[in-house]
Amino acid sequence: MKRWSWILIVVLLLTTVLTACGGKQEAQTEKIRLALILPSTIDDMAWSQSMYEGVMAVQKEMGEDKMEVAVSERLGNPVDAGAAIRQYADQGYNIIIAHGSQYQNVLEEIAPDYPDVSFAYGTGYEAHDNIFAYDPQAQEGAYLQGIIAGMMTKSNIIGVVGPVEAGDAIKYNYGFQQGVEAVNPDAEVRIAYTGSFGDIAKAAELAKAHMDAGADFLTGTAQQVVGAINAAKEHGGVYWLSNDMDQSSLAPETVISAQVYHWEKVVQQIIDAHQKGETGKHIVLSFANGALELKYNPQLESQIPQEVKDAVEQAKQQIIDGTLTVKLPEN
Amino acid sequence: MFAQLLHPDVIIGILATGVRLATPFLLAALGEMFAQRSGVYNLGVEGVMMMGAFSGFWVTLTTGSPWLGVLAALLIGAVMGLLMAFISVTLQAEQGISGIGLYMFGWGLAGFLFRLLVGYVTSVDGFHDIPLPGLSRIPVLGTVFFDHNWMVYFSYLLIPITWYILFKTTWGLKVRAVGVTPEAADTLGVSVARIRYTCVIIGSMLAGMAGAFLTLGHTNMYADNITAGRGFIAVALVYFGRWTPLGIAGGALLFSTVDALQLWIQVLGIDIPYEFPVMAPYVLTIIVLALVSGRIWQPAALGRPFDREG
Repeated sequence: MKRWSWILIVVLLLTTVLTACGGKQEAQTEKIRLALILPSTIDDMAWSQSMYEGVMAVQKEMGEDKMEVAVSERLGNPVDAGAAIRQYADQGYNIIIAHGSQYQNVLEEIAPDYPDVSFAYGTGYEAHDNIFAYDPQAQEGAYLQGIIAGMMTKSNIIGVVGPVEAGDAIKYNYGFQQGVEAVNPDAEVRIAYTGSFGDIAKAAELAKAHMDAGADFLTGTAQQVVGAINAAKEHGGVYWLSNDMDQSSLAPETVISAQVYHWEKVVQQIIDAHQKGETGKHIVLSFANGALELKYNPQLESQIPQEVKDAVEQAKQQIIDGTLTVKLPEN
Repeated sequence: MFAQLLHPDVIIGILATGVRLATPFLLAALGEMFAQRSGVYNLGVEGVMMMGAFSGFWVTLTTGSPWLGVLAALLIGAVMGLLMAFISVTLQAEQGISGIGLYMFGWGLAGFLFRLLVGYVTSVDGFHDIPLPGLSRIPVLGTVFFDHNWMVYFSYLLIPITWYILFKTTWGLKVRAVGVTPEAADTLGVSVARIRYTCVIIGSMLAGMAGAFLTLGHTNMYADNITAGRGFIAVALVYFGRWTPLGIAGGALLFSTVDALQLWIQVLGIDIPYEFPVMAPYVLTIIVLALVSGRIWQPAALGRPFDREG
């Protein structure tokens, strides 16, 4: 028995080695080996999960034999992430996506050492050589959700549960305020931050404070919002506008709409560019190129008045054809 | 601009939030107080809290009973406490290092088990608020103190209970003796190892319960890193409170109330850069620590393994 298993292992090993060699000789289109570095986890129901699902969608389309995926989670600290990124590059991964704006500096440092590897990070816009930067125009969908909240709020108080005033959150909150302002100048948008991305207890507490202070519409960004969404669900009588991905499964009676990021389009673009040997690009996710989408929760859609939907649709068309630009803070 | 803060509803909101936010700190820090009083500092509180948060959540998710969830968190806490006691008391390892090890172990294991056993964000039906009859009707105080779930009440009851145990019982006297001069306690026939084991395990069980409060009495869900550093703040609060239940309670309430205040300052749209409110509780804690640290007393044998021969 024991001898047989040894023989089996040797045979298996030999086959692997031989096929690996064979593969290399006849490789015309190189197999894509993609590594994904995530600040939180693939099941955070927000920022990281949406990107993970995007990558998996691309893999499904290309086939597992053409694309290999490795994921490292919980690397919110860029220094730890840097070690993982180098390891992936050393192991021959050819595309490494570090999913967060905090990884920009780390990539700037590592990328020159591995000219054949394509690196990507975002939210960001500085792309060059072998560094791609992807850039969701979070303010666009935020503006549309601002219209929903602004037209539907009864208390005229709208609460934002923000993480840290940076990257995606700034763009989202800025766009959201403009959307509310455009349809209901009397409504007050109250922006508060927890100072963390992942503290769901703090986010829940912040949502409770917003609701105690009279807010009937709530929104927010980052993975911590799941705590706030649950607090809103338990409180009842308020709506949540979600971002990153459709979070309505968490609270089907509370999450009224969602700005969804179609990361699969970004991942596909990076792969295409890599295969063509192109240099790093600034990849924008917008309504115009279809990488952003506004989804209504089918269960609550009937509660949205037609005039609100019309206003949203009109603004969306204006954003797409460029007649309406949602402003970003200057700097 | 600050006038809104003086509105009675807002003041009540801030105080009630502060009382609720203090609960995990109280549970974890009062437990850690026992461990440190007996001479062992357990820096692994955060990891035990993570495991308590996860096990409480998972058991509630699978059985539907948050009571079983709390029980599971207490058991897991006891097991992790036993591990810490074995390493630091029996094997006499350096406590700081083993505590950090315990933290990383609990933090990693909780995330791993969550992936293995649950794997998606979901919520449970946790503990509900129980307004205390009569008491909750008292204006202001009623809402602030007497309209919470039982874990909040329990954590406040622990303040007098732990005070009584530590200062008025023979066992409490032994704990204090072991934490100051274990050699003398040993000659008087007190088993240093047994006292330390018991204290570390009690502390760890309360830390597990503090974690379960986050998932079953506060957010009713679990997410990666839900403790977000609260375990380390609890350890700091033990120093802050000078190893006394009242001091720890004061520190926990001060920290949490300032935290609640800063949330409300933001919610009311008072125009200050948000970084200042967010850091206020921490800054305040540092200031108070700096002011009181002059003649600080601490258990003399804290961090020192006891070896009869040595």
